[in-house]
Amino acid sequence: MTRRKPYELNPGKGPSMWRSLDEKNADPEELDRLAEEEQPGGFITDLLSPKVLVSRRSFVQGSSIAALAAGLQGCVRRPENEILPYSKSPEHLVPGVPSHFATVTARGRDALGVVVTSHDGRPTKVEGNTQHARSYGATDVRAQAYVWDLYDPDRSQSPARRKGNGLVDATDEELDKALKDLISKHEKDQGAGLRFLAPISNSPTFRRMRDKVLERFPKARFHTYSAIDDDNAREGAILAFGAPIYASYDFARSAVTVSLGADFLGLEPGAVANGYRFAYGRRIVSAREYMSRLYVVEPTYTITGGMADHRLRLSAGDIERFTRVLVAELARRGVGGLSSLGDSLGKLPGGLDVEGIDRELLGAMADDLVANQGRCLVVPGAGQPPRVHALCHAINYALGNANKTFGVGPIIDQKDEPSRKSIAALASDLDSVQSLIMLGGNPVYDAPADLKLGELLSREGLTSVHVASHRNETSERSTWHAPLAHELEAWGDQQALDGTTSVQQPMIAPLYGGRNPIEILASFAGEENPNAHDLVRETHQEALKAMTASFLMVGFPPDGTSADGIWRGGLHNGTLIQPQRGDGKVVVGRIVEALGAASAKRASLSRENFEVVFQPDPALWDGQHANNLWALELPDPITKIVWDNAALISPATSKALGVKNGQMLRLSKGEAKVEAPAWIVPGHADYCITLTLGWGRTAAGRYGNGKGVDVNPLRTTDGMDFTDGVKVEPLSETYNLVQTQTHNRMEGRPIAIDATLEEYREDPSFASYRSVDPVSTPPLWEQQDYSEGYKWGMAIDLASCTGCSACVIACQAENNIPSVGKIEVERGREMHWLRIDRYFVGDDENNPEVAVQPLTCQQCEEAPCENVCPVNATVHSPEGLNDMVYNRCVGTRYCANNCPYKVRRFNYLDWHGHLDDRFGWYTDFPESRKLQFNPNVTVRMRGVMEKCTYCVQRIEKARVAAKREDRRIQDGEIVTACQQACPTQAIAFGDLNDSESVVAKLAEVNRGYKLLAEVGTRPRTTFLARIRNPNPKLKGHG
Amino acid sequence: MSYDAPIKEIGETYLLPEGTTANDVTETIAGVTENPAPRGWWLLFLASVSVLGIMGAALAYLFYQGVGVWGNNAPVYWAWDITNFVWWIGIGHAGTLISAILFLFRQKWRTSINRFAEAMTVFAVLCAGLFPAIHTGRPWFDYYLFPLPNQMDMWPNFKSPLMWDVFAVSTYLTISVIFWYVGLIPDFATLRDRSKNLTRKRVYGFFALGWRGAHRHWQHYERAYLIFAGISTPLVLSVHSVVSFDFATSVVPGWHTTIFPPYFVAGAVFSGFALVMTLMLICRSVFKLHGIVTIKHLDLMNKFMLGTALLVGYAYAMEFFIAWYSSNPYEQWVFLHNRLGWGMLDSKGNWGPLWWAYYAMVSCNVIVPQIFWFKRARTSVPIMLIASVLINIGMWFERFVIIVTSLYQDFLPSSWGMFHPTLIDVLTYLGTFGLFFTLFLLFVRWVPMIAIAEVKGTLPGAHPDIHALESRQEEPGTAAAPVPAE
Repeated sequence: MTRRKPYELNPGKGPSMWRSLDEKNADPEELDRLAEEEQPGGFITDLLSPKVLVSRRSFVQGSSIAALAAGLQGCVRRPENEILPYSKSPEHLVPGVPSHFATVTARGRDALGVVVTSHDGRPTKVEGNTQHARSYGATDVRAQAYVWDLYDPDRSQSPARRKGNGLVDATDEELDKALKDLISKHEKDQGAGLRFLAPISNSPTFRRMRDKVLERFPKARFHTYSAIDDDNAREGAILAFGAPIYASYDFARSAVTVSLGADFLGLEPGAVANGYRFAYGRRIVSAREYMSRLYVVEPTYTITGGMADHRLRLSAGDIERFTRVLVAELARRGVGGLSSLGDSLGKLPGGLDVEGIDRELLGAMADDLVANQGRCLVVPGAGQPPRVHALCHAINYALGNANKTFGVGPIIDQKDEPSRKSIAALASDLDSVQSLIMLGGNPVYDAPADLKLGELLSREGLTSVHVASHRNETSERSTWHAPLAHELEAWGDQQALDGTTSVQQPMIAPLYGGRNPIEILASFAGEENPNAHDLVRETHQEALKAMTASFLMVGFPPDGTSADGIWRGGLHNGTLIQPQRGDGKVVVGRIVEALGAASAKRASLSRENFEVVFQPDPALWDGQHANNLWALELPDPITKIVWDNAALISPATSKALGVKNGQMLRLSKGEAKVEAPAWIVPGHADYCITLTLGWGRTAAGRYGNGKGVDVNPLRTTDGMDFTDGVKVEPLSETYNLVQTQTHNRMEGRPIAIDATLEEYREDPSFASYRSVDPVSTPPLWEQQDYSEGYKWGMAIDLASCTGCSACVIACQAENNIPSVGKIEVERGREMHWLRIDRYFVGDDENNPEVAVQPLTCQQCEEAPCENVCPVNATVHSPEGLNDMVYNRCVGTRYCANNCPYKVRRFNYLDWHGHLDDRFGWYTDFPESRKLQFNPNVTVRMRGVMEKCTYCVQRIEKARVAAKREDRRIQDGEIVTACQQACPTQAIAFGDLNDSESVVAKLAEVNRGYKLLAEVGTRPRTTFLARIRNPNPKLKGHG
Repeated sequence: MSYDAPIKEIGETYLLPEGTTANDVTETIAGVTENPAPRGWWLLFLASVSVLGIMGAALAYLFYQGVGVWGNNAPVYWAWDITNFVWWIGIGHAGTLISAILFLFRQKWRTSINRFAEAMTVFAVLCAGLFPAIHTGRPWFDYYLFPLPNQMDMWPNFKSPLMWDVFAVSTYLTISVIFWYVGLIPDFATLRDRSKNLTRKRVYGFFALGWRGAHRHWQHYERAYLIFAGISTPLVLSVHSVVSFDFATSVVPGWHTTIFPPYFVAGAVFSGFALVMTLMLICRSVFKLHGIVTIKHLDLMNKFMLGTALLVGYAYAMEFFIAWYSSNPYEQWVFLHNRLGWGMLDSKGNWGPLWWAYYAMVSCNVIVPQIFWFKRARTSVPIMLIASVLINIGMWFERFVIIVTSLYQDFLPSSWGMFHPTLIDVLTYLGTFGLFFTLFLLFVRWVPMIAIAEVKGTLPGAHPDIHALESRQEEPGTAAAPVPAE
């Protein structure tokens, strides 16, 4: 029932949308001639005439020609460069055959290598890159969601300039002229009044351009600011090692891991790689195997805490104290390298304060670490002060973990200023600044509140240029705004913290003429018509030469080792420079000095003295994805809240405050005030409140505006990670928070089954025992024979699933699953085919364990949904898939009623429309968002049932390939979207008839069980029960 | 038809007051269609048509937006829609029961209410049939549910109880309409014969199918009526049994129960009688039918309701017994937590949040009818009016309890939800009353609402041996004078 506007193909912008991959220059006559040959009858001329409105069908028909035309015509603004496909597509733009390109996406100073699937020039899906050391083929939530940002209908679509209090559209020429004027103006004063502000960058070319700009404008200054920074880790490393190098942890080899506030599987840099390696120690397939152990000390329940064998809830400010005591305990147990540190810690004022610290747990933890020297890890949280990082480095070195489980990367960007100090410095001398160039970011929204950057920016006489994807809060206060190219639209390069360097390849020409910061900087550095591709290539010229030389030396043939060949190889594989190992040596003296300067002693938390912990949102991050529908509707992994953030408190705190879920709290510290709804999270630290950044945007776009609460007003320069001394006042009004899962307990049912390692050893088949015997009554209908052909099955290992939810968005992106909005989620109508159930386990509501369980369609062999469908719209395939025939579905919803897993989803309304707030009716669907759809999956209309298909389109794709080669589909050839995204490889998919397949073997593992087997559904998905490995010494300990 | 005279020795009397003549019957019943409609009729009719208009608006909005305008959600994929469907279908049971089964059992007292109840059946089944048709996500494809030959060679799924529903309900509707119509033929002929203008004559004449009251006509008529009663009787049992299969054949705890078919049939008869009672009491007073629908009829109906209430109460109790006896934790949860509320608390110590629906159901369906143990209550019009309305409310709750409180917390706590109806839910349900009463009021206005011919058959004078009987009576003067057959 949507009204669809015909697609308007504007020749000014239309052709430039499509970037052909093999471009030649051709004159317009040549173009016409070619087009005539392609489509006789002057089709192309009609198509390109500005008045012509084409239907969708003819648009698709014409788009390949348009792409060709655009290619031949040449790009509007700059020459084109070659980008290389990853592996599968020998020829580009075969209609209907997607290409895959390796590229990289920034994670602050870190980078995540990805492979992007592009359908006819439209990037539609992001997957991990197996050849990138930060990805191992998997991704996080944000990587899955960021392709949506490309098609965000609210992206800035043209430059703009300030007029009065608002922004008015400007042309590219006007902006270029303004920039040129700025350059020539500041050439005179050597850049004295010129400042740059950019988010933390991981780009070597960006850094090179920055240095070149500073050469030309020696008096100018570069500032760095990101709301989520790595200042603590960076300064901690400088404290310990004397240089900004970053630790990398090998959890695969760590038998005992202690996390001190580190959400290393969730929000910390490198979480994807961490997850991949951490799962090695958890994924045991027999009771005799060795299993690693994880201790987590943290204030907020994180997904890392959910994986812990022992979890200690401790407010963020007390973790430093805990670390000090841990050092002393380790020293007392004779860990050589820590004796001097332990001694001096004892002598510091305040000494070793053990108040409120669980000594028994600490002692067992220390024993465990000492017993596993050289194969353990102590990991500091990104939100912990530099001293904690330094202490942890010292512990790891003293325990002999260096170069075993603990490694450091190369020195990264020594010249960069720490983000927090840098923004403060900018704020303090902004009065004397004439021109401020902001290359991305949104400081007006997320800079420390005490700097009042918004007011400073509005000063008369300051010329500010803001390059951003959206006309956001900062753009609104800038003199000029320029659209920023999406990562999938611009050339660039990115270096991960371990030194892995990749080239960021564009898949599509900028949809809205977005600018590339590298090129802007290059123009400031004096380059005429800068070209990002060439600049990037130039950055790595030396490295390429060196590599060529070294390859030749070890005897590679010269043709494959040319600089060009290596460059192309780097583009193809997604990694230009492999990870590098740095070296570090811990200098204890500096750490002691720093510890002496800061007392770990502070007023204990109470009803009058709350601590507030800030953490990024798993999907929205610092607010940069605040208009991303997938991110907005992604349930928080722990609270399962969607479309909002909340002030997370412990059950005990809620009792002390007398508040219920959703009741508003007024948090105040000095002048600063934030009002946020309370949400009780079992296992949260007491008198501690966790606030999530990234919400409460006012200029995010149609979807994100006004969603959640902006907590930045409480975040000041002296408390960027956590802050205490906060007063909390419960208000009478309540706010409606919406969850996708409202019941938190399993009510004693065998659902997400787990056992301790000890129990597993005693009874290796505990899981099948506890999941009740499968029904022995004969089936009602004749059984289908699956022994021939393929028998698709899935295995989900609950021991390695962290609940990070990357799979949820992966599934959403792959299968064109709509987001439905907060009101509809409240009605229980969310559409995620794959959901992650989260249960709290244990009797102590202050200290529960968490159990997570990804749930998709179980593809039951005796599917209850199939018998009851009156129109045969859901039927069984010969390979055992429970197929959904959308065309046939009438929408009686009987199938969903009869599904014991409730994994079926119904299109109650036209979810692909846009909800018109005035009438509550669904109207137009933004055209740009249609570009994201996966053409291999039907976009469902209202009134139709849908559900997980085991990614049947991927199965069919593999079948086509196998048939052409006249062979069976190999194990591993089909990777479902969820399986692909999973950092811990918790999901396996394949043919159960192939006894050698991974999934067949996993299905036989003794801790495997079928969910609700007693209903007699005979599901194809096997769950492997989770095994916990608590310290036997802490038996009976919480 | 039975011509047995009442056995006075045990206190039986004629159904109609002694002295009622056949002419009285004809005048009273045919008069309703001939005289100007009373003001009460107009008021009710205008109100009903307005409510029907509301339904039209609600349906238009529903079709424009989708099923999402109702409160249905995940996991409660069925809610008011199917509740209303089962409720209306249940109500439609009394008609056939009264016409067919009581006819076969020679229960003469049915004659005063059977036409009425049959009409109610037809209209209730129409209202019921509306819901499955509109509850689908894409109602324009509803025809997929019928086994129509098509180029795709696709048939409906004959394993699906919803498919069976289509057959059961449509058969039931067809048979009910035919049965009703066949019974109407002699009465249409009476109206035709009494017509004073051409339009009436033509219209009633058309429907009377040339009935002349010949012996042969009567012979065929009686035989056809008997056959249709025979066909309808199993339908009374089958329709609601099939409807109950929608639930009984599923795996949902609270639905998956073998007791459902008899339980549903008993409940259906129960609710059908209750609605017949409610409407009867209203029409009786609006159209002054006290002479034909007597307290004796009402007393008998109340006894029937008491009996079915006991059956339903037994089913309620048995469900709990089975939940306990099966040791099925999911089943126990549904009965003890979702329905009873306090029988099983969740880990936070909370009652099942929809407990009140269960209590509403038990109070109205089991406790309220117990009042009919007392003769005084059975013969008191206000009490039976209130009780019958309460029973209908209770029976609506029964279906709501079965559907919603089973679905909203089933196997996996992660998928548990809650149900809140929307305004459109309410308006759609309300609207079906508009449809029902509009049709019903048209019926009472234009069609003989009581079977004239059959009622006459219960008059003493209808007995072929009336004179012989009377001559044997000790006080012959008390019997009514014989009336020639029309």
